[in-house]
Amino acid sequence: MSALAAVLHREARIRATNVTFIFWDILYPIAYMLVFGVGVNHALGFQVADLSVDYDSFFLAGVLGMASFGIAANTSWSFFLDRDNGMFQEMLTYPLSRSSYLLGKVLFNILVAIGQAIVTTLLASALLGVRLNPGGLPLLVAAVTIGTAGWFFFYAIFALRLKRNDAFNTVTSVFYFVFLFASSMFYPVEPLPQAFRIAAWLNPITWQVDVLRFATIGYGNAAAITVESAAFIVFSVVSFGLAQRALWKQE
Amino acid sequence: MSTAAISVTNLVKTYAKRGQPPVRAVDGLSFEVARGSIFGLLGPNGAGKSTTLKVLTTRSRPTSGAAAVLGHDVVAHALDVRRQISVVIQENAAELFLSVRDNLLTFARFHGRTGPAARRRAAEVMEQFGLAEEAGRKVMDLSGGFRRRVQVAKMLMIETPVMFLDEFSTGMDPLLKRSVMDLLRRERGAGRTIVLTTQILGEAEELCDDILIMNRGRQVARGDLHTLKLLSQGVYEVTLTYDRLPEGLVSELEGRSPLRLHATGNTVELALRESEEQVLALVGDLLRRGRVLRVEVGGASLEDIFVDLMQKEDA
Repeated sequence: MSALAAVLHREARIRATNVTFIFWDILYPIAYMLVFGVGVNHALGFQVADLSVDYDSFFLAGVLGMASFGIAANTSWSFFLDRDNGMFQEMLTYPLSRSSYLLGKVLFNILVAIGQAIVTTLLASALLGVRLNPGGLPLLVAAVTIGTAGWFFFYAIFALRLKRNDAFNTVTSVFYFVFLFASSMFYPVEPLPQAFRIAAWLNPITWQVDVLRFATIGYGNAAAITVESAAFIVFSVVSFGLAQRALWKQE
Repeated sequence: MSTAAISVTNLVKTYAKRGQPPVRAVDGLSFEVARGSIFGLLGPNGAGKSTTLKVLTTRSRPTSGAAAVLGHDVVAHALDVRRQISVVIQENAAELFLSVRDNLLTFARFHGRTGPAARRRAAEVMEQFGLAEEAGRKVMDLSGGFRRRVQVAKMLMIETPVMFLDEFSTGMDPLLKRSVMDLLRRERGAGRTIVLTTQILGEAEELCDDILIMNRGRQVARGDLHTLKLLSQGVYEVTLTYDRLPEGLVSELEGRSPLRLHATGNTVELALRESEEQVLALVGDLLRRGRVLRVEVGGASLEDIFVDLMQKEDA
């Protein structure tokens, strides 16, 4: 337990004393909601056949998914840096297991994501008048928790395998673009061209955001949401297995 | 229970790379390290020193054989081993995003040291390592030498009975290096066991009670400095400083196939395996070749022994 607490303390100290992390983890998704979301809502309007909410309400789940994804990416970058600057090698000689190291990172990740989600949801409600579904709160917490863990494990596979900084940055930039835009994060999937729509349906971000949307504003079909939840859990478990394997291969 | 701090038995570590034949980085190594001693692992690049240290510090699993630190097996009881050791790895390793002070405190926390006692210790260690003025600066803003200081300073935050240092003096200025060496001697005096690898043989000569020279993953020689010097009986070191280096002298000396030959400015330095009479005759001859400002004749240094052993290995 003390080893896990030390990992959490280390992560917290790094994040708390570096303003760039706070910006990317907390403020960036909120800025997206308050600038991009409000802009689209007012300038372009928003209409989905079976959905009678504005874009701010629709986009809230997208922002929460983006935060989850971004926090996981940032933590995996710090994971990569640990390897790159020798800290990971040194930490392997500390009195903690590799599993504690991974668990500490992911727990910290989850705590930040939940904190971010609370701030974002409260702001969406207070500033944008988004009407939240109170019954969806447990599902919201679960979707943020499992979502952030899943994305962290997914990114960790690359952070542990790639050796070059430029390669890692390229991979994360491409992921950021592809995963975020080929998904239901910014727009509904149904009106999209067929190939685009299929890509979005195969994208785990879509599964997570759809669950978040169901939890926040009650939009979506319960049966489909169950399938998407299950699919995301499978994605997380597989990513965890691969990340764990990559971690044990490190010498 | 073994009285040795570290015991290694027939250790083998093989690295396999796809499409390439496996590399035997450590090849049947066995040794013990006495408690409260400074033990040096020496060898050329690729000799297997760092791989041996990786196994002993639980970063890498041996392919076969066994190793134990204070009686704890490095594979079966890796966590118990880690509770007993502190390690300066070969690569630079410091928390770039944390301040110098936070680096020390974070490291201490992993070893269960927190609160005012840890903060007091951090202040002392920073003072010892000339880091007090940088205490609040982020490590990413420091030079490579200072980062290495932080890395070594962390080891002094805790009192583990065994310390491993892989090329600890890399990037250190001579003054700091000297003070760290003094500090290591004090730690040995306090009963800590220290295992170090180094390429700088003078460091090993000054510090180590016991030295193991390895090459291609195997032990080449073992013992204290005096024992090792016996291996190179008949090796002499000659240094002469002329007011002007005589022409053709270096190529002439090369003809004697010395173990080592350096000519810098007006000084020529060579180590050679010849009889005492031959060496004295050579010195007499060299003294007649020009105006000599300084002459030194001595027995083999650790560097000479090392070169001699490596040449024998290669032959």
